[in-house]
Amino acid sequence: MKNILANINKAFESRVRLGIMSVLMVNEHADFISLRDTLEVTDGNLASHLRALEEYGYIVAEKKFINRKPNTSYRITREGEESFRDHIKALEDLIGK
Amino acid sequence: MVFYSLLCCAKYFKAIAMEQQNQPLEDIRIIKKIMEESSRFLSLSGLSGVAAGIFALAGAVAARMIIPQDIINGEGYSESFRASAEGSHIIRMLFADAALVLILALVSAFFFSWRKARKEGKGIWTPVTGRMLLNLALPLAAGGFFVIFTLGSVPGNVTASATLIFYGLALINSSKYTLGEIYWLGILEVITGLATLLLPGHALMLWAFGFGILHIIYGLFMYIRYR
Repeated sequence: MKNILANINKAFESRVRLGIMSVLMVNEHADFISLRDTLEVTDGNLASHLRALEEYGYIVAEKKFINRKPNTSYRITREGEESFRDHIKALEDLIGK
Repeated sequence: MVFYSLLCCAKYFKAIAMEQQNQPLEDIRIIKKIMEESSRFLSLSGLSGVAAGIFALAGAVAARMIIPQDIINGEGYSESFRASAEGSHIIRMLFADAALVLILALVSAFFFSWRKARKEGKGIWTPVTGRMLLNLALPLAAGGFFVIFTLGSVPGNVTASATLIFYGLALINSSKYTLGEIYWLGILEVITGLATLLLPGHALMLWAFGFGILHIIYGLFMYIRYR
């Protein structure tokens, strides 16, 4: 049992983090607003999960200005991509696919 | 009493165990759903296909009435006809007819998609919408230039063929960002376009098939599938 669970990544236990990683796997980058609207979560909730994933080094934030308004855009890192792939693989192993 | 609380405990743990068993499956389902929703424009309605098809058929009927009988019976219009005043007038009328069909089809596509998005509680404009439209517009704009600059200087079936081929390529190109079935509609449009090139005598009929019948069949199929 321990063997199967070895690749389940604690960083992705929350559904919000799962959602953030899913969006960034298939989009080169996504900004805060579009992530919030896709995942239907509150600003505070999303921000704290984004920060956590940033601390793991799985995503990076890029701050820029669009029409003089600050805009934060997020991108997945190579490490994040690999970890998320491993996590999906582990989930699939768990359900015996 | 002890027995009862034991039973409760057992039930509780069983519930937890079941939840844990289902969680990976539910996680995978959510990952798939979010990946799909965030990378594809899914509000495209089948009804817009049906509407576009009906407009195209009406446009083809109008074209059949605009084109003189002897040209329909013959092998398309000759070079001398294209150069004549009457010829260029007819070509302009046909162009206006085709442009009207295009505009009506686009308006209905927008309307039905907007309605579908609203019904699903989503906005029609997402970052993906822009990407899909750009990928659709690039081949379509190239085709538009080709058609306008060669209009009247090439046989009619070449113009009809070009509209079908460029439209089909535009669909194939944008299928990455919307419902995957669009890819196959694009392939069929390109095949119809090539057939139009090879069979000049049936150009109008093939054009009506490509933009009319194919759209209606596709639209009904998608409407039933994603209702």
